Amino acid sequence: MRPEDRDRIQVEVVSRIVENHMKRARSAPEGYLETLVNDTLYHEQQRLKRESSSKRVRDDKSFYGGIKRRMRHASDHDLRGLIDEMSRHFVREVVGNFDDRVYKLSTSVIPTGLSLLLNAQSPARLFSLENLRDGLADHLIVQGEVDHVRGLLDHGTLVVVPTHSSNLDSPLLGYAAHLMGLPPLLYGAGLNLFTNPMISFFMRNLGAYRVDRKKNAGLYKEVLKEYATVAMEMGYHNLFFPGGTRSRSGAIEQHLKKGLLGTAVRAYVGNLKAKKAKPNIYVAPCTLSYKLVLEAETLIDDHLKEVGKSRYIISDDEFSRPRRIYNFFSNLVSLDAKILITFSPPLDLFGNPVNRQGESLDPHGRVIDPAGYVSRDGEPVYDDQRDHEYTNEVASEIGRAYMEHNVIQSTNLVAFSIFNLLSRKNPDLDVYRILRTGGDEPSFTMADVHVETERVLSTLDEMEAGPRLERDLRRGDIQEIVGDALKTFALYHTRPAARRRGDRVFHDDRNLLLYYGNRLRGYDLGRKLGVNWA
Amino acid sequence: MHENVAVVGSGSWGTTIAKILGDNNVPTLLWARREDACREINETRQNEKYLPGARLGESIRATHDLQEVCERCKAIVMVVPSHGVRQVAFDMGHYLTGEHVMVHAVKGIEVDTFKRISEILREETCVKKIGVLSGPNLARELAAQQPAGTLVASRFNEVFKRFHKALHNNYFRVYGGRDVVGAEVGGAFKNIVALAAGIVDGLGLGDNTKALLLTRGMAEMGKLGAAMGADLLTFGGMAGIGDLMATCASPLSRNHQVGERLAKGETLEQIRAAMFMVAEGVKTTRAVHAYAQYKGLDLHIVAAVHRLLYEGATVPEAIRDLMAVPTGAEFDGNLR
Repeated sequence: MRPEDRDRIQVEVVSRIVENHMKRARSAPEGYLETLVNDTLYHEQQRLKRESSSKRVRDDKSFYGGIKRRMRHASDHDLRGLIDEMSRHFVREVVGNFDDRVYKLSTSVIPTGLSLLLNAQSPARLFSLENLRDGLADHLIVQGEVDHVRGLLDHGTLVVVPTHSSNLDSPLLGYAAHLMGLPPLLYGAGLNLFTNPMISFFMRNLGAYRVDRKKNAGLYKEVLKEYATVAMEMGYHNLFFPGGTRSRSGAIEQHLKKGLLGTAVRAYVGNLKAKKAKPNIYVAPCTLSYKLVLEAETLIDDHLKEVGKSRYIISDDEFSRPRRIYNFFSNLVSLDAKILITFSPPLDLFGNPVNRQGESLDPHGRVIDPAGYVSRDGEPVYDDQRDHEYTNEVASEIGRAYMEHNVIQSTNLVAFSIFNLLSRKNPDLDVYRILRTGGDEPSFTMADVHVETERVLSTLDEMEAGPRLERDLRRGDIQEIVGDALKTFALYHTRPAARRRGDRVFHDDRNLLLYYGNRLRGYDLGRKLGVNWA
Repeated sequence: MHENVAVVGSGSWGTTIAKILGDNNVPTLLWARREDACREINETRQNEKYLPGARLGESIRATHDLQEVCERCKAIVMVVPSHGVRQVAFDMGHYLTGEHVMVHAVKGIEVDTFKRISEILREETCVKKIGVLSGPNLARELAAQQPAGTLVASRFNEVFKRFHKALHNNYFRVYGGRDVVGAEVGGAFKNIVALAAGIVDGLGLGDNTKALLLTRGMAEMGKLGAAMGADLLTFGGMAGIGDLMATCASPLSRNHQVGERLAKGETLEQIRAAMFMVAEGVKTTRAVHAYAQYKGLDLHIVAAVHRLLYEGATVPEAIRDLMAVPTGAEFDGNLR
């Protein structure tokens, strides 16, 4: 965020929140403000109990200690002051600390940190930052409606909404935004993204603000939402993952969280009320497609635990091990594997397509004025229930765009095909039994794998509303596709998903096969191919 | 103070809705396709062909200009026959804006696509704030101001609020709901059952038979609704059992009339030639039957009516077949 806006946004966020609560207090039963202060105190104190000691935790403890003392015998006027202070405390953290750190880190500390790391772990393979970055530029492909999306910068504010597979998504998108010539995207990053020095280099192109998922006070969440709203009104472009969290199963996310999308409608109404010259806000859905996913093992594991109802919060995954990230990138380079970022046609906030002039279109391509959707008698009005429905609307359009612009790579296709074989050869076993036991045979012949892969590929080819296929898949050389996938699997994961020995393919890590194959879920392929797992 | 409301379609139900609006002193534009129909309404305050004997209030004006309708009224009720909705909606689409709210009172389904009417409105226009008005609403009873109720279902609260304000009065109770799919499925499906009920009445069969038909009709409505994503609770309300009871009991219902004439041995062609108004159930049967086959749903009453209308079966054959369907659990599940 531009330095001159940092103070402005804090003031605006805090005053909106305080005003809003004072307004609500007027029509609420007595004790509303007191309850709000108490509730915030309670949640923060509970959080502080769980956190290990640090300067920040000690500071917070004394801050809330002070609030608690002053709460006794507080008048409504005093309570207003406390709400103001707590909101300011939150917003300062959201806006503040990050920028300095990331800008400094990304320019100076990173190269040193990186080479130290690499020297320590692999002295023989010095890998300069430039190599890493250049390598990435070769392996990151940004495609689809890139020009269209870039062109919209002249007409309004962008909200980029990608699919979410990996913690690498946001830095890669930051880099992609840079390649596309987009200004930095504002992004609410979880605290874990700040602890990894290798990643924060790429965050340079993300104007990240800090989101602490451990804070669950309602007031804190209001601050986050209001911050996003005001930032959008100030014209900052946003990056936001509607899936909320990395896809655990590997499938394209369809249950989209609507939080930040809802704030976009609010910001739009705000823009109209303020009679801004370019009030429009555009939604740019895009998919990320990896041949290998850094955290695949942990994610699918978590997914299966969730299905088994013992979900846990991932605190230690591949992302927190720099060595794994290094391996991941060097394999990416050696495999000539591509990470594809594919932009779909952009939308307005109501799910309508927009043309290159940034105008909204009706289903027949007739130009319409989006302001109508939030107006009564020609005047823009706030209406939370209405906006909630619009947000559902745009979320389902985003889901549709994901499915259409999901790019399938060889690893997805071959994993899906091998899982089909598992399911076909063990008709009595459900998915979980297949995962656990592997069925009757530990391996299939190459010929079987080729035939099944061919079958899936030709079904995909014939589909009208299928996913997109990566270039090598479109060429259709089955031997090459299967070979490429098996080679890729063998290189990176602790255990390869599938492994070739002689003329047979062994399904070593069926969880990973499920994970990579799940990218083809949601296209009704199970019915088309006569298998029951998909 | 009331906002302007438009009613698009001046058949008997459209004219009735306009009359209710007129009774409430709501400034109303009533769209009719034909200019002479507009002239009749504006000059005589009557629509003799479709709603004989009813007097339309002074706040109603008829027009055949869709542009005027869309520009003057931000709240619109669509009441054209299901086969005409797509074209009229497309034509209106030139003038509609995101500010418009729309409910439709069309109890049918597009035969070729199996699209619900609200889906068609979405495909043809930019309007998002869409709802459906459906319930036990026989036009002539309402025209006589006999107490009745209806449902306005929309995902947008605003849609309910605005149409409630315009339509609710001391003889017409307007309830609200969220389940657009359920309201549309209920409204369309009951016409098929009404057709069958007409046959029951035409044959002079008794109340047990009628109750059997209606109850199993509800069960099939539920099966179809579940497959389409409806909330089953909706079928217990105005747009489900309410509408079904009125339509199946009343000789006023067009679908019921078609059934009665079938029972008396007339063919569909003969009946069509004799009736100038649309019986939606005839088309809906074809649409639902095709959908049920595609989805693998066992809808026996629908299949029987379909055989009667389109496959040359006679009434006794259709009844014999229906009574031969094996019974098991009344509702899905095990009988243990």
